[in-house]
Amino acid sequence: MLRDLEHAKRPVLEAVKCSLDNSIYNPNVGYFTPGKKMVSTELNVSSVQKMARTVFFLDVLLNNIQTGAVNTKRELYYIAKGYVKSDSRLRPLDFDDQNESDAIIQFICDMLQVYREEMNCFANDRGGQTYSKQLIVTESLGDGTKAEVDLGSMGTTPFQPKNKPQVFKLRSRGKIDFCLVIESEGTANTLVSNGFTKRNKCIVVGAQGVPSNGVRGWVKTIQDQLEIPVYFYGDLDAYTLQNIYRTLKAGSAASLIRNQDFSAPEVRFLGVLPEDVKKYDLHCYPVSEKNASDMRSLKKARDVLQNDPFFHDKRNKKLSDILNWLLKNKVRCEQQALFSINPKDPTTPEKVILEKIKNKSYV
Amino acid sequence: MTKSSAQKNSQQKITQHSTAEYFAKNLQQVGFSSPVKAVLTTLKESVDNSLDACEEGEILPEINISVKRVGIGSAKNTDLIEIKVEDNGPGIDPEYLPTVFGEYLSSSKFGRGRCSRGQQGIGISAATTWAQLTNASGVKVISKTKAMRKAVSCQIDVDIKANKGAMKEKETIDWDRSHGTSVVFRIDGRVQLNGDGGLLTYLEGTTLVNPHLTLKYKLLDNEPVEVKRVSEIVPEIPSPTLPHPHTMKLGEFMTHAHLFGKMNLQTFLKKGFSRVSDEAIKAFVQNKLPKSFLQKPITSTSESEFKTIFQAIQATELQNPSTRSVLNVGEEALSKSIQRLGQVDFFSVVARKPKICDHKPVVVEVAVARFLAKQNLSDEQSAVQLLRFANRVPLQFDKAACAITNAVESVNWRVYGLAQAKDNLPFGPYVIAVSVVSPFIKFKNASKETIDASDDLVEEIRRALMQAGQKLSRHIKREVSAADLERKLQHIEKFGPILVEYLGKVVGAPKARVKRAEEGLTKLLGRDSKAAENKLSVAETELAALKAKQKDFNLSVEESLENQEEIVQD
Repeated sequence: MLRDLEHAKRPVLEAVKCSLDNSIYNPNVGYFTPGKKMVSTELNVSSVQKMARTVFFLDVLLNNIQTGAVNTKRELYYIAKGYVKSDSRLRPLDFDDQNESDAIIQFICDMLQVYREEMNCFANDRGGQTYSKQLIVTESLGDGTKAEVDLGSMGTTPFQPKNKPQVFKLRSRGKIDFCLVIESEGTANTLVSNGFTKRNKCIVVGAQGVPSNGVRGWVKTIQDQLEIPVYFYGDLDAYTLQNIYRTLKAGSAASLIRNQDFSAPEVRFLGVLPEDVKKYDLHCYPVSEKNASDMRSLKKARDVLQNDPFFHDKRNKKLSDILNWLLKNKVRCEQQALFSINPKDPTTPEKVILEKIKNKSYV
Repeated sequence: MTKSSAQKNSQQKITQHSTAEYFAKNLQQVGFSSPVKAVLTTLKESVDNSLDACEEGEILPEINISVKRVGIGSAKNTDLIEIKVEDNGPGIDPEYLPTVFGEYLSSSKFGRGRCSRGQQGIGISAATTWAQLTNASGVKVISKTKAMRKAVSCQIDVDIKANKGAMKEKETIDWDRSHGTSVVFRIDGRVQLNGDGGLLTYLEGTTLVNPHLTLKYKLLDNEPVEVKRVSEIVPEIPSPTLPHPHTMKLGEFMTHAHLFGKMNLQTFLKKGFSRVSDEAIKAFVQNKLPKSFLQKPITSTSESEFKTIFQAIQATELQNPSTRSVLNVGEEALSKSIQRLGQVDFFSVVARKPKICDHKPVVVEVAVARFLAKQNLSDEQSAVQLLRFANRVPLQFDKAACAITNAVESVNWRVYGLAQAKDNLPFGPYVIAVSVVSPFIKFKNASKETIDASDDLVEEIRRALMQAGQKLSRHIKREVSAADLERKLQHIEKFGPILVEYLGKVVGAPKARVKRAEEGLTKLLGRDSKAAENKLSVAETELAALKAKQKDFNLSVEESLENQEEIVQD
């Protein structure tokens, strides 16, 4: 950029276009990879603000790397504000809210094709609470030491991966049959409280909604190192399928450059499936065109069927069939519906899940 | 119960009521639904009558209005309000005074197919009734025609049982004018000056669409105001012309035919309608009108034959109805008139050609203006002021259901540079005035507050608004270009130095390199601001061309405004 400016030439910043229309899905690869589209910003009077902010933030991030300091995006926002407020020359750069500084950080990462974690910028931990009687995790720490965590000896406390790069080595005490990732952390906890992990040789992970990078990387580690079947269990609705399950399995368009490390392509969709609704007579809610939020979710489902390469792939036809079924029947079924099949027996959900795994009733 | 007693009972139940009784019980239907509306409606009906009378008498109207609070009203939470409206119209012959002010449906205008303000002869009698119901006395009238040596002063009450006017306290007096009418109502009411239902809004609207009107008014304790006319031409109210065949429904068509007696169809069509020529009749035949019908007397035409004839006529394209039956304000007069409302920053006016909407000829006129006085922050964020007119009468209530409001909301004003949430009124310090004129306006109610929103009419109004919007956008485009240039220049000054400084810092470059980069940056961004300057000058040229078109109107208005003293000293 400096050289271009010296020659009165317009500098251009280029970054991978991180959007669905630049996402390629190859089932053999298993996750979204970036296409050839780039976003380029050429210096002109309109972009001079963005460029000045980018170079300013780059300086802050480089400084962090040099000193080994670590920050969250929110901290970086306030640090930037601090610099700006204390120096009147920098005043024009001021960020009105965190979204503005987040966008600049994201742009820098897309441009340099690095994870934001590599720029020492971390997110808060969210989700990934893990329960197992068999799993033993060994973490290699930055100072060269190792820490061993035996999940079987943690009582009722779950193990939670951090939302930053961690080096894990997994092993098990005896054989582990499967890993079950549950959309709701609460439901995962309830299953465990009811003795799911006592009676089954398994790992139960609570995703806590759309999986964070930490959860995505963690599930990939389980899949790759233990080579056990991984099942996902969540609501039967468009949001769960396209935002939660798809992100866990194939990554997202926003994180195109890091899906390689943050997706678990072997995860199977255990339910709730449309056939379960019939078989177990599960309670459903109507999705109404009149309700604004339902309306948006229906529209999103239609959009996804039209534009998401994941659902276009013929190997995922059964998943797109579910979306079509949802659009046609205009209902949704919560994952907690299992609890009402037989309210007198709290182990019914466990029985249904095991029965489904045994009968291969999954996608 | 015996049969005869049952009959007697049912006879007792069915009684006849006069029209006056009906309206006396249902005054809310004709604009007297609240104390605030009562004052506005009374003023409006009086002013409408004055303007109509002046135009009938081909007199340039000069109207004098005063609204005073003279005491406490008889009903709770009301004031006793005196509304006085005086005009220089032709005056009313004393023998007609009871009919005009005290009898319902007694209009000379009912069903005539003319573009007068009043249509049915309900309004002023309703005002008299309201005065009588709330203050126990009707309207006080002074009237003098050119032929009279002295004026007549009297009070008119409504004889509600008989739907007749009753004249009281009649006397002849000296009056210092050659002709005119003065009415004084004392009613229960409350005065609201501003806002949608306000008296000032009404008077401003009336001023806007009546460029030939000189209006003097004194409202409550405010200073008296005089607004002088900007046009010396009395609008000629078009004489009712023959109906256009497309303005009729089958039943009307048959009734119309029977008025013409023993005539053959061809002669009837040519004599009884406008826009039916020999060519048109040939076209009817092409559209399946049996040729044999043409020479047949209409008296012996059967109902089914009438239907065939009617269908053939409807299927044929005819010339638009005569523009002579519709009256319009005109772009020029509207341009002058809008500047009487305050200092205008810029404006655009559009007068459409007459069109058929809902089988009736209609003329739509639109004026959009931005007022200097309105340009503060709150006006940027609040909806535009929408002035609606039907036959040159301001409509002030029940905005949401009106065809005009629907049309304004359906236009995408964002493309013309105005802020707008989808399907809402746009925002900003603008006034959008829409006038719909037609011999028959389809109102939603008897108080004439809302124009029925038919698809045809909404579309016609929409087109006029879009044309006005296009003209307006040239002004706004210039402003946007100027602001853009300013923003770009500022950007360069603000961000350029930071960009170069931090680039140097990140790379660790020596000062000489940073200096060279600074010079390069200035060169680059200087080219951009040149481009913005060019864009601005293009927008300015376009605007100048538009202004040149409006120049004639503006010059004469500016002169007349300069000479005008807005406030009349007592």
